[in-house]
Amino acid sequence: MIKSFITSFKLKNTYRVNSVIYSIRQFPFVKKILPNTLYKNKVLKIIGNIISVIIELCSIFLGKFLYLWLCIVSIVGLYKTNQATTFIHIFTFLTLAGAFLNTYMFNPTKDKYYAMMIMNMDVKNYTLSNYCYAMIKVFVGFLPFTIIFGIIYNIPLFISLLMPLFVICAKMCFNAYTLIKYDKSNLVINENTLTKTFWIVIIGLVVFAYGLPYLGLSINYFIFIIIFLVSLVLSIYSFIIIKKFDKYKSLYKKLLTNENVYAVENNNSAKTIKENTVKQITLDTNFTSNKSGFAYFHELFVKRHSKILTKAIKKQSIFIAGVIIVAIFLVLTNKDLAKQINSILLVYLPYFVFIMYMLNRGTTLTQAMFMNCDHSMLTYRIYRTPKVILGLFKERLKTLVFINLIPAILIGFGLVILLYLTGGTDEVLNYLVLFISIIAMSIFFSVHYLVMYYLLQPYNINTEIKSSTYRVVQMITYFVCYFMIDQKISTLYFGMGTIIFSILYCFISLVIVYRYAPKTFKIRI
Amino acid sequence: MKLIIENLKKSFDKKEVLKNINFEFKKGKIYGLLGRNGAGKTTLFNCLNEDLTIDGGNIYLEDKIKRKLEPEDIGYVLSIPNVPEFLTGREFLKFFIEINKDRIKKDKPIDDYFEFMKIDKMDRDKLLKDYSHGMKNKMQMLVNIIASPNILLLDEPLTSFDVVVAEEMKQMLKSIKKDHIIIFSTHIMELALDLCDEIVILNKGMLEQIPKDDLDDKELKTKIIEALKEE
Repeated sequence: MIKSFITSFKLKNTYRVNSVIYSIRQFPFVKKILPNTLYKNKVLKIIGNIISVIIELCSIFLGKFLYLWLCIVSIVGLYKTNQATTFIHIFTFLTLAGAFLNTYMFNPTKDKYYAMMIMNMDVKNYTLSNYCYAMIKVFVGFLPFTIIFGIIYNIPLFISLLMPLFVICAKMCFNAYTLIKYDKSNLVINENTLTKTFWIVIIGLVVFAYGLPYLGLSINYFIFIIIFLVSLVLSIYSFIIIKKFDKYKSLYKKLLTNENVYAVENNNSAKTIKENTVKQITLDTNFTSNKSGFAYFHELFVKRHSKILTKAIKKQSIFIAGVIIVAIFLVLTNKDLAKQINSILLVYLPYFVFIMYMLNRGTTLTQAMFMNCDHSMLTYRIYRTPKVILGLFKERLKTLVFINLIPAILIGFGLVILLYLTGGTDEVLNYLVLFISIIAMSIFFSVHYLVMYYLLQPYNINTEIKSSTYRVVQMITYFVCYFMIDQKISTLYFGMGTIIFSILYCFISLVIVYRYAPKTFKIRI
Repeated sequence: MKLIIENLKKSFDKKEVLKNINFEFKKGKIYGLLGRNGAGKTTLFNCLNEDLTIDGGNIYLEDKIKRKLEPEDIGYVLSIPNVPEFLTGREFLKFFIEINKDRIKKDKPIDDYFEFMKIDKMDRDKLLKDYSHGMKNKMQMLVNIIASPNILLLDEPLTSFDVVVAEEMKQMLKSIKKDHIIIFSTHIMELALDLCDEIVILNKGMLEQIPKDDLDDKELKTKIIEALKEE
C-alpha cells in the first residue's frame, strides 16, 4: 500500500511540477526565452518541486488556518456568549457539515482519474493509501491552529487536541455511510452534486452553527466530548467498513466520468465555459430586424443572449433600486445613520470603483462574444477585415456602454438623493461630481473590457485563455479596484480625477483600438 | 491567376516547420496537399491565411499584376466546422451576403444557395447550434465560397461527411474549380488521387509536386508513399 501511495504521489507531483513550469512559461516574454524542452530541465524541475512542496504545505496548513480564521474566529467575537464554547460550538457544527461537503473520497478529481482510470493503478490500494494521507493532512493541518486558538480562547488543551481528531472521525462516518449506501443501491454520492436532502441537512447544521449562539445557546465542553465519543465509536466501525469495502473499482468507474472530473477539477475549464455559454443562447422566433450587415449581426447576438444581457441587467437594476429604497427609508427614519452615510458619501467614493467593477458585465459579455460568436467567425478571413472588425467593435461598444449605464444611472441618482436626504453638502458641485463620476466609472469599465478583448484577444481555437498579458491586466484591474476600497479621499477631488481619467483613458484606448485591433483581433495559435 | 509563395519560413521555438517554401499554385486546378502527421499542412494554411505571422518570405497573387494577398482573397474551410451558434442558417448566410455584397456578382435569393448546398428547407431556420457536424461543415463551406474568393484552402473538409454528401461536395468542388485556386489538404490518398488535379507533398518543411506522368493510381500511390517516407 505504501508503494502504491508513493507511485501515486510521484504521479501527482510530476503533474503539478509540469503545471508549475507551464504557468511560468505563460508569463509575458518568458515564453520566448524558455524553450519547449524545458520540461526536462533539471533546475526548473527542482524549482517546480519546491513550489509543489509549498503548494502542498499551503494546502495542509494555510487552508485550515484561513478556514478557522474566516469561518469561526472572525465571527466568534460578534456573539455575546462565552467565546471558548462558541468557538467549539461553531467548529463542531461546521465540521459535521464539512463531513458531507469535503469527503476527499467522493471528490472526482483529475489526479484520481489519471491514476485509476488512465494509469490503471490498483483502485483499492490507491484509494485507501491516499485516503489515509488525506486524513493525516487534515489532522496535522488543524492541530497547530486548534492549539493556538485554544490557548487564545482558554480552551483546555485536551479539547484542542480532540478537535482535529473529531474532524477525521466525522468524515469517516459519512464516508462509511456513503459506501454502505453504494453497496445497497449502487448509487454514488458525488460530493459536488449532493442531493437536496443533503443540502437541507447541511444548511440546517450551518444554521445551528451560527444561529444558536445568536440566541445565546452553545454547546459546552461536556456535550462536545459526548459528540466526539459518539463519532469516535462510529468511526471505528466506519474504519472497518472502509477497509473491507471491495467495490471501489466499480464505484470510481461511476464517479470518475469525464463530465464529473471536468466539472470539478476546473469549473473554469475551457470546455465547461464553452458549453455553459452555448446554453445561454435563446431563440425568439418572432424577432425581426431591419438592420443590415454587422449591425444586423450584432442585434441578433444581443437578442439571442438576452439571458446574460438585458435580463441580467434588469435583475441587477431591480436589486440596486431595492437597496437604494431601503437606504432612503433607513436614513429618513434614523438620523444617526443619516449622518454617517452623509460623511461616507463625501469621502468613500473610491469604494464605488470596486462596486462598479463588480457590477460591470464586461467580462461575461466579452467571454460570450468569443465563445458563441468570434470563436467561429474569426476563422473567416473576411470577418477580420478592418471594416468588419471596427464596425462590429462600434456596435458592441454602444451596447456594452448602454447596458452598463442603466444600473450606473440608478446608482448615481441614488447616491445624489441619499446625499441630499442625509443633510446635503455645502459644495453644490459635489452632487454633480458624484453622479458624473459614477457614470464615468461605468463607461470606463465597459471601454476597458472591450478594448482589452480587442487588443489582446486571449483565446485560442479550443477556447482556452492563452494570453498571460490578458491575465495580468485582469489581475491588475482587480487589485487596483480592490485597493480603492480602503481609500478615503474627498469625493470632489476623487470624482473629478475619475472623470478626467476616464475621458482620457477612453480616448486614448479607442485610438489604439482603431489603429491596432485589425492586427491583434484574431484567434491565438 | 497564380498564388506565388517565395522563400516562406516558419518556426516554432527551434523547430523549423516550413523551411523554405517556393511554389506556384494555378487557377483552375485542385491541388491535393499531402503530408504526414505534424508535417505542417495546417501551419502552411495558417500562414497563407495570416493567422500566423511568417518568419520570412513572401506570398503574392499574380493576375496581370503581382500583388500582396488581401483578406478577401482567401476562403479557409477548417476540418472542425466553426459557425456562430447563435444564428440560424439563413441569418448566417444573410450576414455573409451583406458584408460581401460588393463582390457577389449575381444577386440570388438566399434559398438558391441552400439549394446549391443541398440543405433541407426544414433546417434553414434552425439555430446553427442545433445543426449536425456535417451540416455545420456544409454551412462553413458555403459561406466560404459565397464571395467567390480567389483562393480556397480546404483542411480535410470531407472527413465529417457521409459518403453521399462527400460525393456531392466533390462534384461541387469540381464544378467551381475553374474560377479558383483550390488547395485541398487530406490524409486520404484515394481522395486526393480521385479529386485533385495535382498532388503536392509537404515533407521536411518543403513543398514538392509529384508529377503524375503516365503512372496509374497504384504506381502513383507507391511513389507518393516513397516520397513521404524520405527522411
